[in-house]
Amino acid sequence: MKIFAAWAILTSILYVLQTSLFSMFAYNGISANLMLLLTLSVAFLLGHRYGVFMGFSAGLLQDLTSGSFFGCDIFSYMLIGLLCGKFSDHIFKEQFILPVLTSTVVTAMHYFIMVIFIYLLGYHLDLQRNLYLVLIPMLCYQLAFAYPVHKLVFEFNKYVKRWK
Amino acid sequence: MSDKIRREKRTGRKIAALIFVFISVFCIVFFAARGRFETPIASTGVGLVISPFQNAISWISSKVDFISTTVNDILNVHEQNEQLKAEVEELRAKNLAASEFEAENQRLKALLGYKEVATQFDLVSARVIGREAATWSSMIVINRGSADGIANDMAVVTEMGLVGHISETGINSSKVQLILDPRSSVGTLVQRPESRVAGIVEGDINNPTMPKMINIPKNSDVIVGDMIVTSGFGGIYPKGLVVGRIKDIQNEESGLLKFGVIETTVNFQKLEDVAIIIQSREAPPAPIQPPAQQ
Repeated sequence: MKIFAAWAILTSILYVLQTSLFSMFAYNGISANLMLLLTLSVAFLLGHRYGVFMGFSAGLLQDLTSGSFFGCDIFSYMLIGLLCGKFSDHIFKEQFILPVLTSTVVTAMHYFIMVIFIYLLGYHLDLQRNLYLVLIPMLCYQLAFAYPVHKLVFEFNKYVKRWK
Repeated sequence: MSDKIRREKRTGRKIAALIFVFISVFCIVFFAARGRFETPIASTGVGLVISPFQNAISWISSKVDFISTTVNDILNVHEQNEQLKAEVEELRAKNLAASEFEAENQRLKALLGYKEVATQFDLVSARVIGREAATWSSMIVINRGSADGIANDMAVVTEMGLVGHISETGINSSKVQLILDPRSSVGTLVQRPESRVAGIVEGDINNPTMPKMINIPKNSDVIVGDMIVTSGFGGIYPKGLVVGRIKDIQNEESGLLKFGVIETTVNFQKLEDVAIIIQSREAPPAPIQPPAQQ
């Protein structure tokens, strides 16, 4: 219970930072998506079960508070948590390069999942222009923040493990 | 052997549960988008917990921004002084022209015998405490909620023009759907007296910073530079709020209509303080008085 509360507090702090502090440095309304990076790191460090759960929690928090298309983030983060978690079974947890590089892949994946939802919901999207306007700055932000977030989650996980 | 079967059964159940959750969330997306699935209690609850922290971080951020701006201002004080001098000169000239227009306006009003009654608004000021990082919709969170008299569908403005409307109200915070959001639509018209063409301004998913004015007939006289204001149709936005200026006009794919790309007067990238119109009163025009007998 104590460990669960600690993870909930970490998620909330990162979300508050994402929506208030980081939005100040947004480029065309785009800023770092810490919830996605948190899901990725948890999946890499703790496996697919916790990855899916973190994806669900982070997505739910974002969808409930942001007022965007409800459910899209939950679905996308859960899927990312599941895939990265499955993938992490075969890698060494102490190394940082792979999670950091994977942040670009999952950001692109999240982007394309959202594009599919946008199309299915009936909105017309100029994909070529949108890729340039949205995806490229998004990738830059994610790459810049992937290491600090993963390092934070890694140390946090090490710390809370001692409580067991 | 039985252990193996039991384990396989458990794994099978887990996979089935996971598939069920994924399909449920997938369906919820479409139900929610059509307004058939709402989570007001959960949303309010989460908002109630998160908003004080957002408020605090936002306050700290604004202070940091203020300090960095002040330092920057000090470093550029000479250059700013020169710019301000030039601006004062420009404003003096504009002020002179405005006085001329005011006098002309008064004369024309007296000639027509009408007394203009200004639209009055009851405003509540609010601070932006959160901004969604998602790129597919444009929403902000403000530090006012139902406890301050805020309700859904109230228009949100700044001194520069229209910002959006309240889409969801919590107790101490509210979500504002900006006019840049693709789900938003605002009844508008061209302010120019010779034109007054009506259209709908909606967010453009392809260009998150510039909304579009759609449904403009191809033969209408809308031109680049025209100021767009709210028409008052639809009931959410009062008439006469400035939306922006037409920056570009393009033809729709159908060929019968065209649309204008709008440069908003509000700088949405630097939105810190807003005002919510909690009540708008448009007083009826005063009756025409007969001329005084001499």
